[in-house]
Amino acid sequence: MTLTQHSAAHRAVLGKLQRLLPDDCVITDAAGLRPYETDGLTAIREMPWVVALPETEEQVTAIVRCCAEHGVAVIPRGAGTGLSGGARPHQQGVVLGLSKMAQILAVDPENRIARVQPGVRNLAITQAAEEHGLYYAPDPSSQIACSIGGNVAENAGGVHCLKYGLTVNNVLGVRMVTAAGDIVELGGAVYDNPGPDLLALLCGSEGMLGIVTEVTVALLPSPETKTVLLAAFSQVVDAGNAVAAIIAAGIIPAGMEMMDKMAVQAAEAFAKAGYPLDAEAILIIELDGADAELATLNDQVTELLRSHGAYQIDEAHDAAQQARLWKGRKSAFPAVGRLSPDYLCMDGTIPRKTLPKVLSEIDAISQTFGLAVANVFHAADGNLHPLILFDANVPGQTDKAMAMGAKILEACVAAGGTVTGEHGVGVEKLDTMCVQFTSEELAQFFRLKAALDPQALLNPGKGIPTLTRCGELGGMHVHKGRLPFPELDRF
Amino acid sequence: MSADQNRLLIEQIRTAGENQRRLTIQGHASKSSWLPAASSDIVLALGEHSGVLQYEPEELVITARGGTSLSEINAVLAEHQQQLSCEPPQLAGDNGTLGGAVACGLSGPGRPWLGAIRDAVLGVELINGVGEYLKFGGQVMKNVAGYDVSRLQSGGWGSLGVMSVVSLRVQPAFAEECTVGASLSVDQSLSLCAQLGQRNLPITASCWHGGEFCLRLAGNQSGVAAACLALANQGLHQRQSGTGLWQQLRDHQHPFFTQSDTEAGPRRLWRVVTPPASPMPDFLTNPNDDALVMWGGGLRWLYHDDGAAVHAYSKAVGGWCWAIGESIPIDRMQAQIMGQLVKAFDPRGVFASPLGLAAGDS
Repeated sequence: MTLTQHSAAHRAVLGKLQRLLPDDCVITDAAGLRPYETDGLTAIREMPWVVALPETEEQVTAIVRCCAEHGVAVIPRGAGTGLSGGARPHQQGVVLGLSKMAQILAVDPENRIARVQPGVRNLAITQAAEEHGLYYAPDPSSQIACSIGGNVAENAGGVHCLKYGLTVNNVLGVRMVTAAGDIVELGGAVYDNPGPDLLALLCGSEGMLGIVTEVTVALLPSPETKTVLLAAFSQVVDAGNAVAAIIAAGIIPAGMEMMDKMAVQAAEAFAKAGYPLDAEAILIIELDGADAELATLNDQVTELLRSHGAYQIDEAHDAAQQARLWKGRKSAFPAVGRLSPDYLCMDGTIPRKTLPKVLSEIDAISQTFGLAVANVFHAADGNLHPLILFDANVPGQTDKAMAMGAKILEACVAAGGTVTGEHGVGVEKLDTMCVQFTSEELAQFFRLKAALDPQALLNPGKGIPTLTRCGELGGMHVHKGRLPFPELDRF
Repeated sequence: MSADQNRLLIEQIRTAGENQRRLTIQGHASKSSWLPAASSDIVLALGEHSGVLQYEPEELVITARGGTSLSEINAVLAEHQQQLSCEPPQLAGDNGTLGGAVACGLSGPGRPWLGAIRDAVLGVELINGVGEYLKFGGQVMKNVAGYDVSRLQSGGWGSLGVMSVVSLRVQPAFAEECTVGASLSVDQSLSLCAQLGQRNLPITASCWHGGEFCLRLAGNQSGVAAACLALANQGLHQRQSGTGLWQQLRDHQHPFFTQSDTEAGPRRLWRVVTPPASPMPDFLTNPNDDALVMWGGGLRWLYHDDGAAVHAYSKAVGGWCWAIGESIPIDRMQAQIMGQLVKAFDPRGVFASPLGLAAGDS
């Protein structure tokens, strides 16, 4: 659709944007719009109609008010690294990019908080807090690029979630612009707030309930010491039991990752991390804390790994060794990308105890569909990333991979889990949401949405499937190993 | 005692909707004196709808009916050396239900270090105001499918529905716990908290009252022992009164809370939530008697009769306040959103929540 086909309302909004913002903050030309045609879910692309890049909260408010007045949709966008198409643009709405609002407003070591604008990168918060010996705990793999506003919208996680929580557990306050263009302040530098927990509701709402213009995050003292352990197992079930035993012993590791044989072999070929190629599964475990605390913890975990069948345990105490052990895991996605022209990354979460069962179901699904799967697993928190290998150039294989992905997510739901642990629903998992929720539950989600956004103008078509929806099923599609944002670690 | 009363609860809610009656959701009524009661016709009793449904220690998750008593949950967890690290208060004796704890969203003395109950909530099964039985969230740690309706319930005081079943994340119990303390003025204690908070110490609670400052340390044995040593060098020495003190603070059984009635009549007790390093208010004539500070400075209990002064102070430092027994003040914009949400979950206004967010509430 060209601009001339747009309605008078759209023309009015565009006129307002051009009056309101500096020239370089309103993008309408094809070359300028191109970077906004997709987010990290690159299989789905559509040229936006217009991109607005406000520099102040007043501008955000004015844009949203104008869109509300004219009934035009708003698609909020952070850094565009999301993996589920939550920032997918369309011709009917204004892409509201928050990248220019990227100031760290305050780092307050006494209250252990930072106040930042939404476009501030996740890692930049930690970098700003470091001089006080503090850091921001959630570390999604895209943390060098992803923004805190997007982290709130997606309730971003990372490899340290079991011990340190997700975004929702580490954000104390936000300022947000409502669908009507009003500013609401939720929380602040305080530990609780009156009334139903709107702040928690906003986290993970995928830009559908409000637009974040400022975030107050909690900072933690940086751990004194870290150890990374690599344990190799000749059976997947032993690795699973070792994970359960560590937790049953009252130990919460900072991170605990599992990889199956195919993922290990791919990662080792790619990263030369020193992984044992004969292992059926490996665990990578990070322990952190005060020096005294870690001394005994390390021995305890090593003993548990050994007694649960680990035939090889490597310990890394210095930063270089630790980086080497992590490197294989962190490069698992591009490594798998070398095995196959394309792969699809799924994001189910399951109760940890069901891992052996779900893995054998995935194996059976893989055989039925005739497509191979490599599994990487945030073992600490039950978040499973099966990577389905396929070749998009073979007719029918893309559809087959997507159908297979849907079956895997169904198996996750049947095991008591969920269709998305950390990547979000976006447009990618709209169909599988129908597997997880009843029509009454979906209808309740819609009533909730309407309570905050009665005109349904904030990021329409994302997150919650309509009851009649039965569209295509997707995943994070990677062609010829070309990851979206290949410079980022993906784990 | 364990029973599923979902069918009965749904029927009562539907009937109330049809007859335009209002229901007060009630567990053990242990917090009933904390807010003025909303006007309602019938009590919807949850206390009998109880029982732990699933608990597997290795999964760190417990799932129980909303009416299950916190004592039962704590006992079940203790058998496996686990705990609810959010330490929900058990007020009015050994009382309180799981649903009530989530609905009121009150946290124990460890809030800044161990999280609030909303942080532990993984999923709820909710009966909304039209009697629909809905499941949100689940029993897994990471879950971003759909809006977070489960955590939204926290702090709602039952305004959005009946929590029939709740799944909570649990934590291993600490192997070692000790309490250290020193005689300090309140200002000294606040600056010490601000300083210690930036260090890697296993602090899990703090309290200042009557010129005495205490810190709770918990973790593995070697970590706690090393921290005790480090803090002794700063003049904080081990206290024997440990466990009793923290439980008294959690359950509001500390003498500070039980002294509210004086000869001159009941005194107004304020719960003031502030950024932790905020200065103390200057209106207290006798802070040693009239203040108790927890959460490293983030929660200040104050006896004071001049409400306007407390409100002005809270606002000035970027916090909020609530006089126990009086209604909770909610910002106008937020209350508007909450009111719309209440309508989305309870369009007929069946639930008479003491927050007064429903359209018919004054």
